[in-house]
Amino acid sequence: MRKILTGLLLLLLVCSAYAQESTHRITGTIKDGGTNTALPAATIQIKGKPRTAVLSDAEGHFAMTLPNQAVVLEISSVGYLTKEFSVDASAVTFDLTLFPDTKQLSNVVVTALGIRKSEKSVTYSTQQVSGAELTRVRTDNLMDALDGKVAGVTISPSASGVGGSAKVILRGSRSAAGGNQPLYVIDGIPMSNASNSNMQPNSTYGGGTNVDGGDGISNLNPDDIESLTVLKGASASALYGSQAANGVIVITTKKGRTGHTQIVYSSSASMDKISYKPQFQNEYGQTAAGATTSWGSKLSTPAANNLSDFFQTGNNFTNSISLSGGSDVAQTYFSYANTSARGVEPGNKLARNNFNFRETGHLLNNRLTVDANINYITQEINNTPGLGLYFNPLTGLYLFPRGLDISPYKTNYAIPDSATPGVPTQNWPFNEDVQQNPWWIVNKNPNDGKRNRVLINASLKYDFNSWLNIQVRGNVDRTADTYEQDLYAGTIGVLSQPNGQFFLTTQTLTQKYGDVLVNFNSPTFSGFKVDGVLGTSITDANTVGITNGPDVNGNYTSPGLFIPNVFLTQNLVTSPTSKAGSNAVTLPNNHNQIQSIFGNVNLSYKDWAYLTLTGRNDWSSNLAFTPNDSYFYPSAGLSVILSQLVKLPAAIDYLKVRGTYAQVGNTVPQYVTNPLTNLGTAGVNLNTTAPFPTLKPEKTKSTELGADFRFLNNRLTFNFTWYKSNTINQFIQVAPSFTTTYAKGYVNAGNIQNSGIEFMLGYDVLRNARFTWNTAVNGSTNKNKVIDVDSKDGINQFVITGNANNSYESILNKGGSYGDIYGVTVQKDAQGRIMMGSSGGPLTNSGFNYIGNPNPKFQLGWNNSFTYRNFSLSFLVDGKFGGQVLSMTQAMLDQYGVSKVSGQARDAGGVKINGVGQNGTAITTADPQTWYTAIGGRAGISGEYVYSASVVRLREAALGYTFPFKPGVIKNLRLSVTGRNLIYFYKKAPYDPELTMSTGNGLSGVDVFNQPATRNFGVNLNVTF
Amino acid sequence: MNIPLTYRALAFISLLGLASCTKKFENFNSSNQGLTSSQFSIGAIYPGIQTAIFGEENAYQLDQNLNADCYSGYMMSPDPFRGNLNNLTYSLVDGWNVQIYSDAYTLVMSDVDYINKAGTATSAPDFWAVALILKVEVMDRVTDKYGPIAYSKVGLSVLSTPYDSQDSVYQQFFSELDTATTNLQTFIATNPGKKPFANYDLIYGGDYTEWLKFANSLRLRLAMHLTKIAPQTAQAQAEKAMAAAGGLLSVPTDDAAISGGGYHNPLFVITTSWTDISMGADVGSIMGGYNDPRLPMYCSPATDSRITGQYVGIRIGSEITAKPGYTGFSTLNPVTCVATGQPMLLMTAAEVWFLKAEAALRGYAGAGTVQTDYETGITTSMQQWGVSSATYLTDASSKPTDYVDPANAANNSPAVETITIKWDGAATNEQQLERIITQKWIAMFPEGQEAWTEFRRTGYPKLFTVVNNNSNGTIDTQTQIRRLAYPQNEYTTNAAAVNAAVTLLGGADNGGTRVWWDVNGPNF
Repeated sequence: MRKILTGLLLLLLVCSAYAQESTHRITGTIKDGGTNTALPAATIQIKGKPRTAVLSDAEGHFAMTLPNQAVVLEISSVGYLTKEFSVDASAVTFDLTLFPDTKQLSNVVVTALGIRKSEKSVTYSTQQVSGAELTRVRTDNLMDALDGKVAGVTISPSASGVGGSAKVILRGSRSAAGGNQPLYVIDGIPMSNASNSNMQPNSTYGGGTNVDGGDGISNLNPDDIESLTVLKGASASALYGSQAANGVIVITTKKGRTGHTQIVYSSSASMDKISYKPQFQNEYGQTAAGATTSWGSKLSTPAANNLSDFFQTGNNFTNSISLSGGSDVAQTYFSYANTSARGVEPGNKLARNNFNFRETGHLLNNRLTVDANINYITQEINNTPGLGLYFNPLTGLYLFPRGLDISPYKTNYAIPDSATPGVPTQNWPFNEDVQQNPWWIVNKNPNDGKRNRVLINASLKYDFNSWLNIQVRGNVDRTADTYEQDLYAGTIGVLSQPNGQFFLTTQTLTQKYGDVLVNFNSPTFSGFKVDGVLGTSITDANTVGITNGPDVNGNYTSPGLFIPNVFLTQNLVTSPTSKAGSNAVTLPNNHNQIQSIFGNVNLSYKDWAYLTLTGRNDWSSNLAFTPNDSYFYPSAGLSVILSQLVKLPAAIDYLKVRGTYAQVGNTVPQYVTNPLTNLGTAGVNLNTTAPFPTLKPEKTKSTELGADFRFLNNRLTFNFTWYKSNTINQFIQVAPSFTTTYAKGYVNAGNIQNSGIEFMLGYDVLRNARFTWNTAVNGSTNKNKVIDVDSKDGINQFVITGNANNSYESILNKGGSYGDIYGVTVQKDAQGRIMMGSSGGPLTNSGFNYIGNPNPKFQLGWNNSFTYRNFSLSFLVDGKFGGQVLSMTQAMLDQYGVSKVSGQARDAGGVKINGVGQNGTAITTADPQTWYTAIGGRAGISGEYVYSASVVRLREAALGYTFPFKPGVIKNLRLSVTGRNLIYFYKKAPYDPELTMSTGNGLSGVDVFNQPATRNFGVNLNVTF
Repeated sequence: MNIPLTYRALAFISLLGLASCTKKFENFNSSNQGLTSSQFSIGAIYPGIQTAIFGEENAYQLDQNLNADCYSGYMMSPDPFRGNLNNLTYSLVDGWNVQIYSDAYTLVMSDVDYINKAGTATSAPDFWAVALILKVEVMDRVTDKYGPIAYSKVGLSVLSTPYDSQDSVYQQFFSELDTATTNLQTFIATNPGKKPFANYDLIYGGDYTEWLKFANSLRLRLAMHLTKIAPQTAQAQAEKAMAAAGGLLSVPTDDAAISGGGYHNPLFVITTSWTDISMGADVGSIMGGYNDPRLPMYCSPATDSRITGQYVGIRIGSEITAKPGYTGFSTLNPVTCVATGQPMLLMTAAEVWFLKAEAALRGYAGAGTVQTDYETGITTSMQQWGVSSATYLTDASSKPTDYVDPANAANNSPAVETITIKWDGAATNEQQLERIITQKWIAMFPEGQEAWTEFRRTGYPKLFTVVNNNSNGTIDTQTQIRRLAYPQNEYTTNAAAVNAAVTLLGGADNGGTRVWWDVNGPNF
């Protein structure tokens, strides 16, 4: 690979050595006359000389070299009327406006590899979101700002406080064991979205000491983003190969502009409050002295609200400044952003600094474009809340017996311990694995995640002539993480050690990318045009790290610290018999390399028919040791502009129909093709994974059909897409019979199908000088079906999250769909009555049964923006409809007798049920304690705790005012007030069903003491100098 | 592969570079944490096998602690796991009971298979002998829990492994012990004093003379399991063991126990940090009633204010209230019996004396006299725990006491075991056996697996029944639990074999069905 790169660079230098004559340079800006905004990708050429053509950049700027004589320039752009313009020999700069050709479509789309295409020629569905839309109402994780705005995208924020990850799913989950999140691409180059070494939890107990580490995308400064394009289907992403089987999110960042020096300062402040609380009963006290439950007698005074003692108002202060400017030759963009936030749980904080410097240069008579960019990010997240049953302050807070005073446990969470002088212990009345003193967790089980990240991109592009250029790009993305958690002596024994426990992980992830692209673009031959790209790329990711604390078997509870509460690696005990030393474990490198060659050919005929073909071959190191480490996949797409081909009714300005078929391969995880023996505590632990020498990559086949309409002089737009994808050859882990001596094995099997429709409808309701109103609706459905798991081997189930002896499982079952929740259900007779056992609780069906699926059947977003003079107002309402979620929180609150319903049942003299006794008599009332003790709890009858996941909310709203300024130092000042997650118009579940415990594949649709969702109010100030 | 021409041209150029790059792929895709087989010797596998017999606390809790350790009457959990619907109320938890299967096959049988395939039987017969002894030791624990198990065909197929009848499994045990003892005898004779296994041995520090004693003693233990179902085999194998070259475990320094190599006593963590296991009611009743000097070594007195300083355990199957409800009752002693560095006992010399006592009672050759064996068993056990008593052996009056639960009278029960300590040669065979097994039960503490086996075989000592039986009628409260049900995973992955095994078992696959050697009939 290195040899090729060197060779191509040499070629480039040789080619650039010619071409010098009597010339001068001109620069200028091309704008859209309709909207008065910059027009990128317009072609400027000397009339009749296509070889002189140059393109305008993202800001509409262009620069070109002209002979020292008067010429006629021809400026054209897809969807605009072509304009001719005479310039004399002395012209050095000019600005020009193109007007839309109302019979055509104007938008330009950023597609794979950063290539800009006219929307007309794109054969698949894309949707673009501007940077301004991402920052209008700020979110902690910038992906959360997409929620409700893009059809076919489902965003589930992690419930893990500030700095948490987001689960982004495009058109449904498709891989049973692999990742399901999209690839992020910045300026054409893939970015690592890795978290720190903490994995996402996959157990209702939570991640234990490994809390959510935040994802890579949330590290970016949203103010640096020019636009974000979502490429949803596999066909859109075929050119990115293995990493892009789940779709691609292409981010274009800002860069400097010729002749425009601009300073933008923006500042936002917001506050967060929890947007709902669990409902408690306040009348009944502790069952008996020392009991953990609240099934006791009536209280003389109502129980207090313990939640207000704990939750705080969160906030977020973001300040950013950017400077940009430049000459014809070089343009500069610099920005700095500082984010300081705190969560609604005490101690949860985020501090982030982003530095970004970008330099773009045009050399060798504008033939050579050099673009380089460096990003430096520092981030620290403190006390990310644990989710689930362990290390979660909310369990103790919620379950605390009603009527008792919790405040002494807040002020004195640590008390002296007579057995260990000088080493305080936890003050909490119960010894139960699922609860601790909430303030003890916050103060004495602290966690701290630090991240330093450097992203360096460089790109060289050389135009040989108007129809051929070569581009060489490279990128290094280096993320250094440290994660520490200190468990003080006194932490509950099941989770720690008598002298305390300590975890420290340091990890550096380095991802390198390089590619060479040859772009070509033929002149028109009797109506036909051909353009395309051929390229080769290499992606290499490698991790280096050490973790301290757990032993080599990953056992975190053993053996702990030597001297209490001294959190140093050298204080870790390796074994009880040698009381010193350290437990340090080298982390896996997960070295992964993908090499590729790829190509894309676009054939068009007379601007109304477009055919796109792509092909890619990947070589993946993760498939080494198999004969399948090289794999090819093609795609084909066709779009036809019917409105240009046939006469349509006058109301239809534009109609495009499009269709694609694509395959995308997806590699397997590291180290599975050649399982090795590992070191144990004393000797070696032989490999227990069955070898699978013929493992193949996963393959997704997808088909997409759609149409784009424009009516009423382009004021009404509508587009519609139908898609279907099947992911086969899935990499599925199976548990063979232990008698084979293998604990696990892998198979290639499965077929997971996603199909659905998406639509977008936009309407410029009003557009006049004073008042504008723009409204847009997007909607999507997705139907996921597990057609097969591994029926050829008699396996019809794949467990994504095991029950771990609690009543929640997530299972892929043949005939079911991704994310299906399995739980314990009551037995009912033919009349639908609950069959009651002799002890007063219901009888249950054996094993685990299907109880729901959390994925929405239908999503709808409705966006409105108004401007009146200098005021602007926008709001977004979105709804997710269908699906069910499970609340293990509610089940436990009921079992412990602290929930409001448990109190109401006692007030009413029993729980109203439709039951039948063993002798056949109807039972209509059950004793509340017996009933809720039987059905509630983490191992109870979870089928009784299923709720509708439908939720409709006022997602965001912003009211702004732009202060009018005469030309001066300040060019523009805008102030706005914003709100997020303001009103739930419809929500039946006892928590926000959108929140997720894990942004991985597991734990979908379950709430196990998740931090409640928050409601957010903010003020934004934006000043341009 | 069908690649268009243009790509082929580009591929041709690129491959010049790529060809040399993909060579490194195998290196990239080999875990830096991993070892290839050339990087370690066969010996390095053995510590893993030895530590897997009981496992770390997470494994041990499920392998044995929440089944046999409690079914033997030794222990009971103060944790209301799963709302008291768990193994301890006979509501068997598949997710728990699968652990022993996973550990025995994937951590022990797989390793022995690897050692076998490496040609160890011929290249290092002494190492092979140790592997066979460990294999028999571990798989006996599995077959005694379940009945028929996969044994002879293990590792031959990755799809389906047939099960062997328990009869056949025991025959293979004896035959494998034959090989092991022959190999060791040969090695000891030709290489006296040599200890090539010393670096890998967490049991005897590489001393093959001790391994030979252990193998012989294990044969004696297995032989006695068969007294009811196959008395002739029992007698033949027991006599073979007692006459074998190298002898039996006879003094506490011979005890087979695992320690070192980073392994620690799993009961320490389960007892202290987790507060998940406590003393069983039977221990307080029997040992308390006998004023047994070993009791303070085994267990700590209660800290619950109602019974401070007394030895009061928890009765199996009690309605456990949330912690700290029962955590103040007597626990295992974390300073002595289950100290973190305390070796995990596999087999003691004391047990062997009691095995001989029963053999003598049954008239087997070479067993010595019953009373001597019985009394030596007691004194050897006391020696093992560093205690002594001048009056214990002559105590003909102390009897187990009644059980009183200060927290819940529903758990109270009069003493069910009534035998006394002092040897009585005039007593019936049945009474003599009851006395031997009761004292053996005391001596084997805290190794619940063998104690549960012997309780099922002989009915001794008589144990308190479960207070709450949630087995849905599959397990009789009075008869008590006889086995564990096969893991559900076997039904999904090895269905034909496990269904055939249930036929061999001769009863339903639940906790109420007796295994092969567990004959519902008289001991004599």
